[in-house]
Amino acid sequence: MARLALQQLSKQFASNIAVRDVTLDVGDGEFIVLLGPSGCGKTTTLRMIAGFVTPSSGTVRLDDRDITNLPPWKRNAGMVFQSYALFPHLTVAENVAFGLEMRRSTADIPSRVAEALRMVRLGGLEGRLPRQLSGGQQQRVALARALVIRPDVLLLDEPLSNLDAKLRETVRVEIRELQRQLGITTVMVTHDQEEALMMADRLVVMSNGEVRQVGTQRELYERPADRFVAMFVGRSNSLSGKIVGPGRFETAGGLRIACHEGAIGPAVLALRPERLALGAMAADCVNRLPGTVEFVSYLGASIDLHVRISPTDRVVVCQPNRADVRLPVEGDRIEVGWPADAAMVFAQETAPVPN
Amino acid sequence: MLIGPATVFVTLGLLVPIVILFRYSLNDFKAGVMMVEALTLKQYALFFTDPYFIAAFYRTLRVALIVTLLCIVLAYPLAYTLARTQSRWKNLLIMLIVLPLFVGNAVRAAGWMTLFGNKGFINVALQWLGLIDHPVRIMFTEPAVIVGILAVNLPYVVLTIQSVIEGIERAVEEAAFSLGAGPWTMFRRVMLPLATPGFVAGAIFCFILTMNAYATPVLLGGPQFVMMGPLVYTQFAVKSNWPLGAAVAFILMSATLVLTAGANLLVQRRYRR
Repeated sequence: MARLALQQLSKQFASNIAVRDVTLDVGDGEFIVLLGPSGCGKTTTLRMIAGFVTPSSGTVRLDDRDITNLPPWKRNAGMVFQSYALFPHLTVAENVAFGLEMRRSTADIPSRVAEALRMVRLGGLEGRLPRQLSGGQQQRVALARALVIRPDVLLLDEPLSNLDAKLRETVRVEIRELQRQLGITTVMVTHDQEEALMMADRLVVMSNGEVRQVGTQRELYERPADRFVAMFVGRSNSLSGKIVGPGRFETAGGLRIACHEGAIGPAVLALRPERLALGAMAADCVNRLPGTVEFVSYLGASIDLHVRISPTDRVVVCQPNRADVRLPVEGDRIEVGWPADAAMVFAQETAPVPN
Repeated sequence: MLIGPATVFVTLGLLVPIVILFRYSLNDFKAGVMMVEALTLKQYALFFTDPYFIAAFYRTLRVALIVTLLCIVLAYPLAYTLARTQSRWKNLLIMLIVLPLFVGNAVRAAGWMTLFGNKGFINVALQWLGLIDHPVRIMFTEPAVIVGILAVNLPYVVLTIQSVIEGIERAVEEAAFSLGAGPWTMFRRVMLPLATPGFVAGAIFCFILTMNAYATPVLLGGPQFVMMGPLVYTQFAVKSNWPLGAAVAFILMSATLVLTAGANLLVQRRYRR
């Protein structure tokens, strides 16, 4: 258990800057998720913490020790790899015992291995070889192998991406509960925002090698620092146009919208689909725009309505699926509304935005 | 159906001559008459009682073992680097490894002769540097033969080991590191057992090639440094003693086969999984 601190960590490969000036403090027992699209530098950052990649500049500190130049085998960081990377020639028990044998604390190895396997509910499979296990079981062996050494920090590199959707959901909860119960400082990398939101204490959103925002789920969702975060965390409708005066936004399609902050000039307006109201529900909203329902997708718990509000603008409205509400069908004319504070305004920028 | 031609070819081109050769090895030899039809183990007895032949046998075995060992030790770092490189020049590097095979063994041995001779590059260079007064004898020594064969076999062994290492996930090495294993421990506990099929295949390859080497021992070993391959040739072509030549060939083949199979079995038992 330890605090982890990254100070202006950067990595440059030839002419390509993979990670730029990442500064991050991870508290004792905290679960941090590095989130971002592929190539954003999150994996390189994790590998610098693990010691597989030497930073070009900056430091990695574990409590008060500077471990920046320590090789991986002297760091006491438990790592779970995307592919699990189990030793194919060793049994489950031998895989888990490996790290303990390296520590030469040979006395209680069998009991600690048994305990770790019980923890991940794999008791009874000690003698199996990795190839005789299912993906989910392999994943849990990898977790037990990383946890049994009582690492200062647990590093998870997309640990769930090779599991099927149903299993992934259960394993997320299992990992999170285990991590909390052990109070182990954890850094996980993922590109799956749902996974990130579900597991993290705090999230670090990255793109192009830089940290865009660090914060809790609520902070990222409700107060995204920039358009990238607004688009990447949760869903957003984005309307491009410009701020034409204080609290006045005009879309490229000519719609006028009341909003809060924003400097005059080109800007993007982001709207969460569930903050939009329809028909009678929109009556009290400052912004009310007539539109046509073009597409309806039934998602079970909720329903998405794609509503065209101008020749160039279309928004997605997410409505809870309730038995007592009759929902519009494709082709219906309907009014879409939202309060001024539902709109998040960002200055137009050049950085790529996820789809 | 498609395996038909190959099967016929192997049967006619390999098995039949072997059977005939074995039959020859049981014949008798009389000076002037050459081969005499017989059914006797005389040639084998002759081989194993003559110190000259026994020395050639042990010499061959010794060179084969040394070359194989050196080959594996030298090939591993190269094979590992080649397997793990992210360089876009990787294909070029592999071509460079294969390139020496474009030159025939005899031509290559001739190349070594220009280095090893009393007036060869090495001796001239050492004399010029003032390190030696008189040329050191390198040609027609065991080290010369070993170096020569080593150079021939190395590419095969490198490529064999490299292909096996490529099948071992890089993350498995990293997992060992993150669990506290240093490079040497990682090699011993993870890489060695996982790459064993590559080491075994490479070693077998190298051992067989060395046991049967012909051009290199003849050219770099000279007439005094007799190995089994050249011995077979001498008996057949120079001495016209077909029965003894056949027996030598069979002893060579059997020794190679038995030792290879034995080593394979031993390693398999050690790394059963």
